[in-house]
Amino acid sequence: MEIKKTALAGTLESSDIQIMLSKGTNGIQIDLDSEVAKSFGDDIRRVITTVLTDFNITDVNVKAVDKGALDCVIKARTIAAAQRALDTVNEPAWEVL
Amino acid sequence: MTESKERLRRTMMFVPGNNPGMVKDAGIYGADSIMFDLEDAVSMTEKDAARDLVFEALHTVDYGDAELVVRINGLDTPYYQNDIKAMVKAGIDVIRLPKTESAEMIQQLEAEVVKAEEQFNLPVGSTHLMAAIESAKGVLNAPEIAAASDRMIGIALSAEDYTTDMKTHRYKDGRELEFARNMVLHAARAAGIAAFDTVFTNMDDVDGFKRETEYIHQLGYDGKSLVNPRQIPMVNAIYAPSKKEIKDAQNVIAAIEAAHQKGSGVISMNGQMVDRPVVLRAERVMRLAKASHLVDQEGNYIEK
Amino acid sequence: MAGQVVDLYLNQEGTFNEWQTFLQSLGISNFSTTETSVIDETVGIFDGDRLVATGSVSNNVLKYIGVCNQNQTQGTYFNMIVTELLARLAQRGIFHVFVFTKPQYSQSFQHLGFSELAQSADGALLETGDVTIQTYLDTIPQLPGQSIAGIVMNANPFTRGHRYLVERAAEEADAVYVFVVNTDSSLFTTEERVGLVTAGLADLNNVLVVSGGDYMVSYATFPAYFLTSPEKEITYQTTLDARIFKNWVAKERHITTRYVGSEPRSRTTAIYNSVLQRELPPEVAVKVIERRSANHDVISARTVREMIAADDLTHLAVLVPDTTAKYIQEHLTDLQKRIKKGMKIDGN
Repeated sequence: MEIKKTALAGTLESSDIQIMLSKGTNGIQIDLDSEVAKSFGDDIRRVITTVLTDFNITDVNVKAVDKGALDCVIKARTIAAAQRALDTVNEPAWEVL
Repeated sequence: MTESKERLRRTMMFVPGNNPGMVKDAGIYGADSIMFDLEDAVSMTEKDAARDLVFEALHTVDYGDAELVVRINGLDTPYYQNDIKAMVKAGIDVIRLPKTESAEMIQQLEAEVVKAEEQFNLPVGSTHLMAAIESAKGVLNAPEIAAASDRMIGIALSAEDYTTDMKTHRYKDGRELEFARNMVLHAARAAGIAAFDTVFTNMDDVDGFKRETEYIHQLGYDGKSLVNPRQIPMVNAIYAPSKKEIKDAQNVIAAIEAAHQKGSGVISMNGQMVDRPVVLRAERVMRLAKASHLVDQEGNYIEK
Repeated sequence: MAGQVVDLYLNQEGTFNEWQTFLQSLGISNFSTTETSVIDETVGIFDGDRLVATGSVSNNVLKYIGVCNQNQTQGTYFNMIVTELLARLAQRGIFHVFVFTKPQYSQSFQHLGFSELAQSADGALLETGDVTIQTYLDTIPQLPGQSIAGIVMNANPFTRGHRYLVERAAEEADAVYVFVVNTDSSLFTTEERVGLVTAGLADLNNVLVVSGGDYMVSYATFPAYFLTSPEKEITYQTTLDARIFKNWVAKERHITTRYVGSEPRSRTTAIYNSVLQRELPPEVAVKVIERRSANHDVISARTVREMIAADDLTHLAVLVPDTTAKYIQEHLTDLQKRIKKGMKIDGN
């Protein structure tokens, strides 16, 4: 499934991560900007990918700017971005939360 | 997360629901209750994101023994129902309803909570409720609000909106809040639930904060709402029992044990019958003493 | 606890003065009406009663970002301000965002996911968002040949002068890219301008008409083209515009020569031409072609716009090719309506 529109969630403040989802055609492409990308880049990418897969989003470009977010924050921000991108903010995906 | 009716609630720390740094660290300051805010601290455009963030944090972050409370958005907002569902699903201890003005609002909230508990296969009754009183109408209806549901664990005065409704604002001496403070406290005591005082926002006025906390402690409030973790030790110091209070409480506890050993249903001390309020007070003093590290695990006073 | 981000209403005099004084204390000095009047929204953070951080947006460009880091973890306020501005733009459906800043702050923006497009001694231009300059360049096919020319034009509207410039390039080079300015801020809409350029060059088979995107003489890279700005400002912006052309567009599409028309009438374009001559060589040659004249004056799109405003198309055919003339005749009332509504015709 593709997303309906570009969406942004999260902030650039400490302990947060900003996630931007935009239309893509070549699977889940993640552009990650993080000071800890070397050690934790794969973990961050995995959390994002898992959430997107739970939403059945298969083709999307992800721009992620990480400021030291915990996994639960990465998950929450990706969920918020995905619901905004799918235009389903008012119907939370209880099975994904 | 722990049982809710009888517990210490000296400090209820407000945490903005969309701030990951504060949400993640909320447990490390030793607040008795942590209140995640989805309402005033979150802008309209971030309501969904804050709800997702608090939900995921409740699932993964260890907040120790703190009672976990969430302030949802009001009945008249489009976020109300999804806030309730998400927080019930997350297993929150207490849902706090802002701008409560009537018992019906609490009953309506309870009905939504029951629906959510059923939807997510949780035991019905596991989510508790509390009400924030923020208007003249709310203050006058406080007794009915406090007694509106068995799930109610507390009632809080929220002075910012209340003083606006009263056509005044907050003053240093707090006289504008006298009636509301007493009304809310009486409503809580009559219903057998906790009473929380309003926040004190001027972080630079430490003396003012202490004065106000001493005052509400004197009135009989269970505790105070806080906006900054630095206020927690100040409140705890004021709520710490004196050596004499602890000795008296220890005597009452000893009398209870003596009665148990004799197999007597009547507790007596110094030739007088010890009635229930005295027992409850003694238990509360001992809880406070333990929380303030004034007694050891066995309940012996630690000389400093 | 850090302060909250609040709205600043600059139309209130007291707020404007406080905001200006704060930014001046940080070394920001340009508060001309042309710059401040295009601000859409401004936010700030207060520490008690004192303004300690602010930022504004104008279209898709962040402006007037100023932060006082006293008593605060390095960058906290800055991150809050930029976050808030990006979130507000996202609410309006704007995700591709630019910022002009001093070179020493480029790194701070890069920490927040921005990428630098160009830097000069006076400033840096950065972008962030769902698309990048690479996304844009990927949409432009590579033309074949050894010598490839590039021309950037607003073509408001396309004239015989524009046509002459392209013809010269098409004779001398193997292939020509014609980049049409993408910012929709002229009498002729972007769609109309692209349409008229394409129609007017249809017979030249080594010419490709493409959009200049956000990167060539756009509102983001070169706002002074659309506003009236002091010379210093124009030089500063055109230097960055020229460097983007050289380091990204020309490099990626192997453009060897930039063609421009000589510019006796527009001060802004004249400065732009001289900056191009300073910046592009040796990697990219600059050829200045003498402007075509008609009726003893250079052919200019502005003259065409003036004819439309004056409702006198007698000499129109001398200035524009048939395709443009036909379009103007068919849409004359509509174009005149736009001018009456306030569309300026004396700019670019």
